[in-house]
Amino acid sequence: MARLSGTGLIADDLYLMAHDDVTGRPFLQPRAVGLGLAGGLLAELMLLDMLRLTHGWVVTGDPGQPRDELGCCVLGLIASERELHPVRDWLAFLARTAAADVAVRLERAGYLRQTRLGRPRHGGRWVPADPDCAFAPLGRARSALGAAGAASAHATILAGLAVGSGLGQRLLPYGLPDSRRRLDMALEQLPPGLRELIAQTQAAVDSALLAHRV
Amino acid sequence: MSRTQLTRSRPGTMSRALARDRLGAPAVLFFVLAGVAPLTVAAGVIPTAYQTTGLTAIPAAFLVVAAILAIFAAGYVAMTRYITNSGACYAFVARGLGRPAGVAATLVALVAYTCLQVGLYGALGPAAAGEAAAHLGVHAPWWAWALAAWAVITVLGLLRVDITGWVLGVLLTAEVTVILAETIAGLAAPAGGRLSFATLSPTGLTSGGFGAFGVLAVVAVLGFVGFEQAPVLAEEARHPRRTIPVATYAALGMIAIVYAGACWAMAVHNGDRHVVTAAAQQGPGLLFGLGGGALGQVAQLLFLTSLFAAALAFHNVVWRYMFALGRENVLPAALGRTGANNIPKTASLIQSATGLAVIAAYAASRQDPMTRLFFWLGTTGGFGIILLLTLTAGAVIAYFARHPHDENLWRRLIAPALAAVLLAGIIVLAIEHYATLLGVPPGSAAARALPAGYAVAAVIGLGWGLVLKIRRPAVYAAIGLGAHAVTGQLTPASQEPPQ
Repeated sequence: MARLSGTGLIADDLYLMAHDDVTGRPFLQPRAVGLGLAGGLLAELMLLDMLRLTHGWVVTGDPGQPRDELGCCVLGLIASERELHPVRDWLAFLARTAAADVAVRLERAGYLRQTRLGRPRHGGRWVPADPDCAFAPLGRARSALGAAGAASAHATILAGLAVGSGLGQRLLPYGLPDSRRRLDMALEQLPPGLRELIAQTQAAVDSALLAHRV
Repeated sequence: MSRTQLTRSRPGTMSRALARDRLGAPAVLFFVLAGVAPLTVAAGVIPTAYQTTGLTAIPAAFLVVAAILAIFAAGYVAMTRYITNSGACYAFVARGLGRPAGVAATLVALVAYTCLQVGLYGALGPAAAGEAAAHLGVHAPWWAWALAAWAVITVLGLLRVDITGWVLGVLLTAEVTVILAETIAGLAAPAGGRLSFATLSPTGLTSGGFGAFGVLAVVAVLGFVGFEQAPVLAEEARHPRRTIPVATYAALGMIAIVYAGACWAMAVHNGDRHVVTAAAQQGPGLLFGLGGGALGQVAQLLFLTSLFAAALAFHNVVWRYMFALGRENVLPAALGRTGANNIPKTASLIQSATGLAVIAAYAASRQDPMTRLFFWLGTTGGFGIILLLTLTAGAVIAYFARHPHDENLWRRLIAPALAAVLLAGIIVLAIEHYATLLGVPPGSAAARALPAGYAVAAVIGLGWGLVLKIRRPAVYAAIGLGAHAVTGQLTPASQEPPQ
């Protein structure tokens, strides 16, 4: 059952932010949504210390299993690789299916439902089950634009990934006039690995835009 | 209940799955050729070049310039293996010759691509006006059609529409097919019944004095603009070490053959001695008249779509440059911000405003759009690209002198040095004979002002780079990193993986 407090997972909140809370239509180009959500999926595992980022390379961290199936799947795939890969490659890999995968996770949690129209597997129509719950992540991310130190790591990462993937115009007007600077200050408080993940996600989105691939 | 797609991925297959999504050489080649817009050059640039310069060795110039650019490409694509950045040339200059030089190069590039983009309205307007008058009975001035095209490009730019995929594929294939058909038709009907090879001979390049080569080379480089874009896709290429070089050399070869063939056919069909006069009388019809009939009609329509596609493509190149510079904070950060659907509205609108101002200025001053807007700004854009390539060749030498990697002497020194000398020679000759290039009397203001614009841009760029060094060291450090300015890394894989 959908709740205003959300699932507590970053990619879920980012998905809801990146789509209209009533119609479910995306605000961004598909590749940008995918890259942002891929960053969210990696961030979830980094918050659990199950993944680490070292100079742009993704390495596995503490043993254990995430609560959700998608997180387990991402971690399993990363652990199964014989050699290390740069985070940019993992972002590109996960971005291919991230939107559909996160939508399925949100559907199971009761936040999205499939409409009869459109083809959900092909960039189609998942619609928020409750517009209020779909709008709530914007409020959570907004806390990262306020007073220094007031935001949780979840909110700061969410806001950083949202702005990095192109949702700045949607999020920043909800903050104070100098919200961009405040967000930068909040991001400075994050551990280096998470800061790097957010920066790499933004770089991947920008690169795709410059290379005519968004 | 649905199932996640990721659960279907087999463990240990990430690299293969990723490789499938990346671009192979044919896709990169296609991207490069699409930006070249062949009919724009074959029907627009070449006849106007014959008319304006009065020189006939244009076919030979295409072949010789292709060879020079192939030499340049050896070091250029080698550097792509170590620096993958969507604004390849200026990123290379920043790394090789220093960040202030990088800022100078990027302003030169911005001016050059802007000239190329707005210049296209000077051909679009008259071509559309001619077609509308002939087939629709609509008589409107060239600038009205240019403004209509400008409005559509502005809207498409704001919607962030690239003409890609099958639309561009069909257009490109049709354009090349029509040019080849016109070429064959022209060669099959030579003037005086004799096939002359004189315009293909490199000796013709200096027959009108050594300066003629500089003029002809600028025109020829204009035809190749776009080939330098292949490294833009380096990060998306399946095998960057192979894909980018293959696509670059294939593009150079194909462009050289198509253009050299087309302008040779024009000279053969009209006669070497009469082609200049014919070009002055017929304009783009010099190409369309080779085959005549239905082929000519199709070619005229495709000329319009080609001009439009080229104008949109260059519009998108310019805003991408501005976006990258905005992201680096070298230009105002607003240029690097995106709105809904990842559209950088500010950058796109600034380019549109430039186009509007130029069309309005030419319309108000009643200057001939085909020669003074399309050809003058087009060739000035081509001249700017030569400047950019020369700086890049110097940067390649400087970079490999510090970081030889495992590149051989040809790629890291001999080829770029040879290319730099040849390109610099073209620049000197072109500056000396810029009046011939524009078709104006020696010493006229335009012949001095247009090339001097690049000197101004370069000086501003160098100065701004030094200001950034003193006032904003963090921004200075990120110059040339493009999208990676936010991470401060050239490429994520530029370091060894941790043990």
